[in-house]
Amino acid sequence: MLEKSLIQATQIEFHRVTKMYGPVAAVRDLSLTVHRGEFLTILGPSGSGKTTTLMLLAGFEAPTKGDILIAGKSVAAVPSYRRDQGIVFQSYALFPHLTVRRNLEFPLEMRGIKATERTARVDRILERVHLSDFCDRMPSQLSGGQQQRVALARALIADPPVLLLDEPLGALDRNLREQMQVEIKSLHKDFGITTVCVTHDQEEALTLSDRIVVMREGRIEQTDTPEALYDRPANRFVASFLGEANILENLGFDRELVATQPPGTFAMIRPERICVFPADKTKRADAGQRQSVTGTVDDMIYAGPLRKYRVRVGNSLLMVREHVASGQDIFRPGDEVRLEWLSSDIRFVAA
Amino acid sequence: MQTLQKLGRMPIGLTVPALTILLVVFGLPIVLLFLTSVNAPALSLSNYQAFLRQPANVRVLFQTIQVSVVATAICLIIGYPMAYLITAASKRVRMVLLVLVIIPYLTSLLVRTYAWIVILGDSGLINNLLLSTGLISSPLSLIYSRMAVYIGMVHIMLPVMILPLVSVMMGIDKSLVAAARSMGAPPFAAFWRVFLPLSLPGLRSGLLLVFVFCLGFYITPAALGGLRDAMLSTLIAAQVASSFNMAQTAASAFILLGIAAVMLSVLGLDLADTKTHGTRLARKSWRSGLPSFRALTRDLNELASPYRAKRWTAKLYQAGGSSGLWTTLGTLFVLLVMLYLLFPSVVVIIMSFSGGEFLEFPPSTLSLKWYSSFFGDPSWTGAAWMSIQIGVAVAVLSTIVGTLAAYGLNRTFPRLRSFLTLIILAPITFPSIVVGIAAYFGLLNLGLIGTKTGIILTHSIGAIAYVVVIVSATLANFDRRLEQAAKSMRAGPLQTFRRVTLPLIRPGVMGGALFAFIHSFDEVVKTSLVSGFSVRTLPLKMWENIRNQIDPTIAAVASLLILLPLLWLLVLYVTGWRPRPRAQNVLPDAVS
Ligand SMILES: Nc1ncnc2c1ncn2[C@@H]1O[C@H](COP(=O)(O)OP(=O)(O)OP(=O)(O)O)[C@@H](O)[C@H]1O
Ligand SMILES: [Mg+2]
Repeated sequence: MLEKSLIQATQIEFHRVTKMYGPVAAVRDLSLTVHRGEFLTILGPSGSGKTTTLMLLAGFEAPTKGDILIAGKSVAAVPSYRRDQGIVFQSYALFPHLTVRRNLEFPLEMRGIKATERTARVDRILERVHLSDFCDRMPSQLSGGQQQRVALARALIADPPVLLLDEPLGALDRNLREQMQVEIKSLHKDFGITTVCVTHDQEEALTLSDRIVVMREGRIEQTDTPEALYDRPANRFVASFLGEANILENLGFDRELVATQPPGTFAMIRPERICVFPADKTKRADAGQRQSVTGTVDDMIYAGPLRKYRVRVGNSLLMVREHVASGQDIFRPGDEVRLEWLSSDIRFVAA
Repeated sequence: MQTLQKLGRMPIGLTVPALTILLVVFGLPIVLLFLTSVNAPALSLSNYQAFLRQPANVRVLFQTIQVSVVATAICLIIGYPMAYLITAASKRVRMVLLVLVIIPYLTSLLVRTYAWIVILGDSGLINNLLLSTGLISSPLSLIYSRMAVYIGMVHIMLPVMILPLVSVMMGIDKSLVAAARSMGAPPFAAFWRVFLPLSLPGLRSGLLLVFVFCLGFYITPAALGGLRDAMLSTLIAAQVASSFNMAQTAASAFILLGIAAVMLSVLGLDLADTKTHGTRLARKSWRSGLPSFRALTRDLNELASPYRAKRWTAKLYQAGGSSGLWTTLGTLFVLLVMLYLLFPSVVVIIMSFSGGEFLEFPPSTLSLKWYSSFFGDPSWTGAAWMSIQIGVAVAVLSTIVGTLAAYGLNRTFPRLRSFLTLIILAPITFPSIVVGIAAYFGLLNLGLIGTKTGIILTHSIGAIAYVVVIVSATLANFDRRLEQAAKSMRAGPLQTFRRVTLPLIRPGVMGGALFAFIHSFDEVVKTSLVSGFSVRTLPLKMWENIRNQIDPTIAAVASLLILLPLLWLLVLYVTGWRPRPRAQNVLPDAVS
């Protein structure tokens, strides 16, 4: 089963795809390649066209312009039920009138697989998602997490070369979500299926994906690995959508840096790259590579392992994130502090 | 296969069979009828002027409106408190009361009218009792009066008022009333300011439905009213029977239709005013008359609500804080209304066992002679068999065609959907005498007058409308992502429909089929127009008997028909009309 899936894994290409709903462009001129066996996540704010992109790929909507290729062939004329994709819907879309077992058998029946083989495969996958005891229940008799696993199993059972996930974990609570992320990741590894996942949960995207596509208003803003995306955002939108970003309006304190700043860009630094010290402490020895400014603590938020400060420097507010450690100075609103960072941690991002 | 798949991709194509039948049997003829009424191509209003020049006609016209308004008002006065009390009752009592309201609702209209003849007639139950006790010396003339008309019409219309009201009232969150009380509103104020406004949609549905049916009422006024109580439908029927001056009859039909449309928009408008954007909406409805018809679509939906089982069982609550006196009064009221709704049927059943030459109540001797007379008389059994055949054919045809149409409508743009729905619903929103006349001409063109096929087609245009209403209500709750899921698993359009959609909307489809059968099995007015003299259905034979009072066998027939609703309820129960144990919480929409 494993090898076959790996071989099956298929490449997907979007070629300048546009989808109009009346005058509204839900997806504009989108070009994208999903590599074989890759886990690609589409991330973006609400209404940015993520679901539409997935629906186009699934064949439930037709592109207004452009073409979609699966395994090198255009699927424009291929109806959804011939595309051979496993899909996990946000609401799971388990058939409420069929038992878990019948739900799982459905895709096999549609492929004309014999009853004995079907039973064997259902048993195998039920074990894989730890649901062997639940096969005779109706979907309504399962918890949210169990339903989610059935949906996942149903999407995977027929070994489709492509797996589509639409906010697969949206309906789950935080703990279950983290558990399921691990589950999905390991299933993806085992099955090696080319996977496209839609979410607006950045943490989920960062955890699961080989690459992430950030969308805004129907367009792709940036496509990159999670690390690259976080570390080198292409523009201000990506920088602030994925994690928090401090935009440094005034770089008067650093001549060298100002000289290297490309025109029309902003200097950006992540909150966790900034260190915070009492204002009266002397500078460190390696001060040479560091920039430092002084400011006043405006607010402090305690968030478990983290402590977040909002510091007023001149007219602007900077976010600072510090891991809680023993023997640390704790600052209160009104305290004078000195902020330091490495010049190399500054990123220039497009507007 | 290929074409079917193409149709599947072009969902509006699925409405083609329904629209074709409708157009041929009803649509084209009614347009032709209209052209005739204005003497096309000359285009004159002379037929309408001729109608209005006769004082008798004008009197009938106003009488029709008056009777309808009064009957609707009585239904409101009895129906609203009744619905409130049903809603407030405990779960078990409510289910019983609902069943007891639905039984008369599903009982043949002819049978219920007949029951009142038996009760109010000169030698009927009331007169007999009074005579035998010596309170009166000669029979009171109870029947053939305006009062008899009201008693009969309200009896028949009351469930139509109560059911939509209950359905809306059960959806009202009782905690809202409690909240109002907690903010210092006395009970009546809480009712007036919170509960009543929230129940207005149901009120409007009930009023519109009752009023529209009343305007086109034929059977009951004709059977229970005197000569001076004629309704417009009666007048038109008389015109048809006597002369068949086509242009004149057509004009009368369109006057009736026009009144229905005008009264509808006025009623829709008045009640729309109670909402915030009322005035704007009102102006619109003057122009097009459409909003009220659209409202009617919604209202017909409310009638379909017995099929949305969850609404009956959801949001259970009890009316709290009622004092002893009110409880007693309420109970008394409920008992009286139930007596009014059910007593006539009981009388008919008991009388049907009379042993003498005539029907008596209470029977002095008991026998099954009227039943054996029914089963021994080929003209009765033949008529019954004919009706069953026609009813089954209608149910099969209109369930298939109507389900396809509802599916197609569900998948098209909202605008086109409401427009086509209006058209498909015309046969049940138009007065049945008008539909009957149109169908007569439609079938005349096809050469199908006096044939079974003709009657099946005529019944089907109405039956399709019922199927569309009921199946659409079910489809509206259907999660389309289930179909997408099936397709992603390689199920083609047909397989998806058969394996996923159909099983999930089956309760609605079965309900639609049942309604289609009932519609056909009880239909008199249209049938009498298109049957010629060759086809005798059971309702036709019964109607003939009721008018001429020839054969007491009808009591046995009526009693058998009274038992049918119990069978229907059983069918509904078996096909999904019940609360589901656990399926509701997680995927309620897809299940019901
Ligand atoms: N069937 C439709 N008809 C008209 N407009 C649509 C339709 N579906 C989506 N849109 C529009 O297209 C745009 C993109 O919608 P889409 O559902 O793809 O967003 P999304 O990124 O999935 O958002 P969310 O995170 O809220 O699910 C939105 O502006 C939406 O209003
Ligand atoms: Mg979405």
